[in-house]
Amino acid sequence: MSARLLAVCAVLAGLSGCALKPVQPWEKGELARTDMLLQGDSLETRFNEHIYASKEAASGGSAVGGGGCGCN
Amino acid sequence: MENKPQNGMPVGQALLAAAMLLPGIGAVHAETAPERGSIGVKYLYYKEDQPGLDRVRVHAPAVSVLAPVAGEWSVAASATVDDVSGASPRYHTAVSGASRMDDLRKAGDVTVTRYLPRGTVSVSAAYSTEHDYVSRALSMQASLASEDKNTTWNFGVGGSDDSINPVNHIVQDAGRQTVSVLAGVTQVLTPVDVGQFTLTHTQGHGYYSDPYKMADNRPDKRRQDTALLQWNHRFVALGATSRLSYRFYHDSFGISAHTLGAEWVQGLSDGWTVTPAVRLYTQRAADFYFDPVYDRTLGEPFPPGYVFGSSQASSADQRLSGFGAVTLGVKLAKQLNRDWAVDFKVERYEQRGSWRVFGSGSPGLAPMRAVSLQIGVTRQW
Amino acid sequence: MVNPVYTIDFQAMASRCEIRLAAADGAEARVLAEPALEEVRRIEAKYSRYRPDSIVSRINAAAGVAPVGCDEETLALLEYADAVHRSSGGRFDITSGVLRKAWDFRLGAVPSASTLEALLPLVGWQQVRREGGCVLLPQAGMELDFGGFGKEYAVDRAAEILIAQGVRHGYVNLGGDMRFLGPRPDGAEWSIGIQHPRDTRATIASVPFSRGALATSGDYERFFEADGRRYCHVLDPRSGMPVSYWRSVSVVSPMAIAAGSCSTTAMLLERDGLEFLEQSGLSYLAIDQDGHIFRR
Repeated sequence: MSARLLAVCAVLAGLSGCALKPVQPWEKGELARTDMLLQGDSLETRFNEHIYASKEAASGGSAVGGGGCGCN
Repeated sequence: MENKPQNGMPVGQALLAAAMLLPGIGAVHAETAPERGSIGVKYLYYKEDQPGLDRVRVHAPAVSVLAPVAGEWSVAASATVDDVSGASPRYHTAVSGASRMDDLRKAGDVTVTRYLPRGTVSVSAAYSTEHDYVSRALSMQASLASEDKNTTWNFGVGGSDDSINPVNHIVQDAGRQTVSVLAGVTQVLTPVDVGQFTLTHTQGHGYYSDPYKMADNRPDKRRQDTALLQWNHRFVALGATSRLSYRFYHDSFGISAHTLGAEWVQGLSDGWTVTPAVRLYTQRAADFYFDPVYDRTLGEPFPPGYVFGSSQASSADQRLSGFGAVTLGVKLAKQLNRDWAVDFKVERYEQRGSWRVFGSGSPGLAPMRAVSLQIGVTRQW
Repeated sequence: MVNPVYTIDFQAMASRCEIRLAAADGAEARVLAEPALEEVRRIEAKYSRYRPDSIVSRINAAAGVAPVGCDEETLALLEYADAVHRSSGGRFDITSGVLRKAWDFRLGAVPSASTLEALLPLVGWQQVRREGGCVLLPQAGMELDFGGFGKEYAVDRAAEILIAQGVRHGYVNLGGDMRFLGPRPDGAEWSIGIQHPRDTRATIASVPFSRGALATSGDYERFFEADGRRYCHVLDPRSGMPVSYWRSVSVVSPMAIAAGSCSTTAMLLERDGLEFLEQSGLSYLAIDQDGHIFRR
């Protein structure tokens, strides 16, 4: 388990320490597309989260807060 | 009543035309009509079946409405502000600092966000109830962007206080409190790549058992950790976007889980988009999960060696067993004309003990399958 | 390299005002904002009821006496007032300012029917005569009041001055009526909240903007409450009594003066305000007396 976590932390280091050329504001056109946003369709996301939480033990990952689900 | 259209023009346009005649304004820089708005409706049909049991669930439609302004009216649930428009001469500005939310809204949920020069701070309060369950949650999230806005650091802390009152009165007013923290970074990598890495940690204590299941006694403390990695890439020449995600989950119940998600959003001609998607999931069983092998004397549903009144943790909940699951889905969307768009998504989910990766899954459980259909209609005006 | 955003705060038209724009440094920001600021003060002075030498005071002083010659700007504003009067079915009336003599919001006393009856004959835009570049208020005691759209007009004028100087990122905000000149310097939109009509510390909604204008009218700007009823400063010219159907109306339009006229008109039309907003073709957010939100 700790080996996996280390691998994942290595990715973090890679992401933030990127020596890639900084992207200029006028180059960000493609990034504004809805399919490029990290949050998906809010209605779909809400449905999916509720369905998976009722079948699987793992939950969350992208946010804190919000009310709890009734399913214990 | 003379608020009818003036000369066939809507009143708003007529006033605008009159305003443009005023000296020194509007002559050169007059804008055209505001952005269009849209209303989206999603119907989710969901059918779950397990051999021997046929549970059908149909969900009510959900509606989201976007109003045609320069952006989207975001009402009540969250207010993200640089500044405030109001009739009163007193108003908040970004200069006056973060908003103060001294009083919690008691019903529903509210988020207020302050938009600072290089970041945001937002506070949310949520209150949700079901017939046997009340949950109150408070959280704060902040983001801080680098000067070029290519890197955004995200932080969050939240807490919830839940109260469970099952209808079978096995417990009364059982409480549970959790605290979560989040840290993450979003990075614009190239003009066609954006990635995000998020870590969360949750600590909770209180009632975790399922009151409606026999011999279900779970620890009264739970620690949960997740690590989520996401990457979106735009293939401009192909007119497509790939959306990948991986989440690692581990908790103190002994459950570890991996979730891998992949979507390919492909633009086609004539306003069509097709998005095939796959999700792979695997989890290890909880330490106190027991297989469907029952005590020789007590019989079903009691696990071998079960002692009444013992504080030993145990649960037969399938959700805590070891299994793997696969979701395959495809979504088809079409922009019909300027006003109408439709989307249709079908997904099939299957969960099997034998599909667990990194180990053997829990035996003796029937596979669980579910098919969901989602139809969405979006109208813009 | 993205320019930082500077905020120039000032007091004008009995409100807290600000001009926000992107500039290389504070000195440049001041230089860009100064002419816009002066324009706001000029309009305030020219159309103020409280300055005896203003055009408005001169017109009011000559009520029942003689026509007063007006400059092009004033004539244009009077023409605009006429358009708003028609669009609102007669409810938006710039001669209704005289009713403030009956309403003292500091004392919080409801005027008697006879007090209002004495003033109502002095209210009526249809009586005002405009010809040959002059305007005449036919009865002594009649008054013109540009307060209904003066602030929004100043917003648009100030915005034009900034645009003419090349400002492409920023906005003008005079007491909550705003006009946007372009998005934030990095391209992100400004996020603007709508004041909660009952809780001064809270916002009830928000909307992102990069251009266009937003104006809000509400029953909470000046009011008093007596016997569990709220009396606000928006008065129906037919009865002299305040309107009460809406707590707040916000309207989006390419120009602040149009947005402000629509939001005030919706307040004045009370129940019919919703149909008015629907037919206006503009985006709006309206909150009624029970706190229900209507929007488009």
